[in-house]
Amino acid sequence: MPKAIGLITTNYSTAAKDDVFSGRPVASMPYLGRYRLVDFALSNMVNAGIRNVGMIFPVNYRSLVDHLGSGKDWDLDRKNGGLFIMPGTAFGTSRTGARFLIRDLVQNREFFVKNHERYVVLASGNFVANVDVKKLVAAHQASGAAVTVLTKTARKADLDVVRFDVEDGRVKGMGQGVEFGDTAFLDYAVIERELLLERLDAYAAIDHLDFFEALSADFDHCLVMTADFDGYAAPIFDKASYFASNIDLLDLDVLSELTPEDRPIKTKAHDNPPAKYEPGAKVSNSLVSSGDRIYGAVDGCVLGRDVIVEAGASVRNAILMQGVVVKTGAKIENAIIDKNNVVPAGTELRGTDGDILYLKKN
Amino acid sequence: MLLAGGQGSRLGVLTSQVAKPAVSFGGKYRIIDFVLSNCANSGISTVGVLTQYRPYLLHAYLGTGEAWNLDERDGGVAILPPYATQTGGSWYAGTADAITQNIGFLEGQDPEYILILSGDQLYRMDYEDMLATHKANNADLTVAVMPVPWEDASRFGIMNCDDEGRILEFVEKPKEPKSNLASMGIYIFTADLLIKTLKEDAEDPNSSHDFGGDIIPKLLADNKRLYTYQFKAYWRDVGTVASFHEANMELLGEEPAFDLYAKDAPIMSNSSTRPPAFIGPKGSVDDSLIDNGCTILGTVEHSVISADVFVGKNAVVKDSILFPGARVEEGAVVINAIMAERSVVEAGAAFGSNDKDTVTLGDDAVVKKGE
Repeated sequence: MPKAIGLITTNYSTAAKDDVFSGRPVASMPYLGRYRLVDFALSNMVNAGIRNVGMIFPVNYRSLVDHLGSGKDWDLDRKNGGLFIMPGTAFGTSRTGARFLIRDLVQNREFFVKNHERYVVLASGNFVANVDVKKLVAAHQASGAAVTVLTKTARKADLDVVRFDVEDGRVKGMGQGVEFGDTAFLDYAVIERELLLERLDAYAAIDHLDFFEALSADFDHCLVMTADFDGYAAPIFDKASYFASNIDLLDLDVLSELTPEDRPIKTKAHDNPPAKYEPGAKVSNSLVSSGDRIYGAVDGCVLGRDVIVEAGASVRNAILMQGVVVKTGAKIENAIIDKNNVVPAGTELRGTDGDILYLKKN
Repeated sequence: MLLAGGQGSRLGVLTSQVAKPAVSFGGKYRIIDFVLSNCANSGISTVGVLTQYRPYLLHAYLGTGEAWNLDERDGGVAILPPYATQTGGSWYAGTADAITQNIGFLEGQDPEYILILSGDQLYRMDYEDMLATHKANNADLTVAVMPVPWEDASRFGIMNCDDEGRILEFVEKPKEPKSNLASMGIYIFTADLLIKTLKEDAEDPNSSHDFGGDIIPKLLADNKRLYTYQFKAYWRDVGTVASFHEANMELLGEEPAFDLYAKDAPIMSNSSTRPPAFIGPKGSVDDSLIDNGCTILGTVEHSVISADVFVGKNAVVKDSILFPGARVEEGAVVINAIMAERSVVEAGAAFGSNDKDTVTLGDDAVVKKGE
């Protein structure tokens, strides 16, 4: 077990940027049928043996509180430590670019003072990845760096991802947005707790900045090293990336890598019956969650819990979130249907590959 | 008090490693989930679970009772295996003896009424309603009964009653039944009387310490107030491989005999969180239940599939029940079979057929091609 506490930020970093988020923080977006995005960061920390995790909350925290409860489903209902829910700041200009906003950290300085573990593992709620945090901490200890950041070579351009300029594994500079081949920051980092406290005090006057933005002024004398991540990692900042990364999981190799039995992604437990496929159902290339009932045709889809697809309905290349009912004869293609929508009989809802149709939460 | 110590020997290899109440059922559950959920849904917050035969999995599964909302500060689930005292100890010798050996637990709880349940039956019942009947009749004992077809009545313990439902006579497996009301093995006792009767029964050298065989006849002989509570909904005692298979199949179809989806009294279970099931590009599923964590690349028809099952390409699973972690590899055919946990039918192998009785494969067992 690493001598570390965890900190997950879900404030501005995960503010609604696109209509698909319906005012929810990105961290509580349903993902892969039965999970929410924050499950990845939380489970990665818990799977590394961390039992002391602080989470900086956004203003619209209802869905997160509902999901997390006491932290029991992640083994974070501890006598000592466990899950700490901490208020994010709600004043000033919101900066959707800032994942680790200094004033959010400063406001919750107490959390870093009263816990005595040597390291702090930072993560945002925006990335889908199964990260071996134990390995990350070990890499940090081995390199002797002041800060270790988890990175991956970008496979495509993304304006929302932070870029590091790296020489021989050492971070020399940074900027917003990555192009193909750049070193992309996966929003996981390790830092010594004492150093973090010292830096927070030093940066108090510039608390409107992101922590790493402020740190970049010190890159020449503060040793920030990268640790390369070789697994699947998807940043979720808008509708397109949200849709694409859900559909990525229809590849069995990606699915198995993200949800291995030895480092499981944990989520809130529900008492749903198994999914029921009625006589005549046609289901292929899809992920089907418990509680679903399928009478019609489903192909290339990710279905949340308690979804009903009636006889004669067909759904293709779509994400149906929890509780969606597709009535008889309805046809859905290239779409995201948000929670609890009832798609009336005979309706056709079609987006295109380039422009996914989104039906907001009912 | 939930009797969960039975071996369930008629289930063969399915209970070679686990107690019958811990056997997988319905794709997501273990048999004991149904009774525990009934307790939780009926507002019962203290449940003693009497275990004996191969208890590890059952104990681990029960945990603190949290999965059934039974992790309460006062009460909750108490696991009660046989134990030793200064004068030695003994196994539970019968259903009544199991309760007798735990009179200390009962006295500690000091309840007014005691509900005796079996951990191996499938049904949805509001015990609160049964208790209301017990109170209304001012009864000493209320026995839940179920009308069974007359031709089957001689296989059950039959209650002969008057018009008010008061029990006049109890006959175990009568050759010529006078009634078709079968005992379901579900009892509500007024606590003081039960404890007193059990203490007396323990002293009786001729008693086999069984509720049906000894306690009920004794109370009838003592002219106590014994009443029936009639239950008319779905109820199954899954004692044999055939009845176990049939009860699973009864969950399928558009109007199943037992509806797992009823929202008012959910069946709760202690299941691990696994990703949604993946149905492959060439996968096909018809008339089946499939739990999370499964990978289905072949064909599944009219079957009940538990978590983390793998069905390979071109494999066929039909009229079968697969427990958690079972594997049917590429091109294998499984028909009319029950595969227990983590069992494997290897690539190209065949297991079971529709011409014969349902076949069973034990935990971790393997069927190779050509076997």
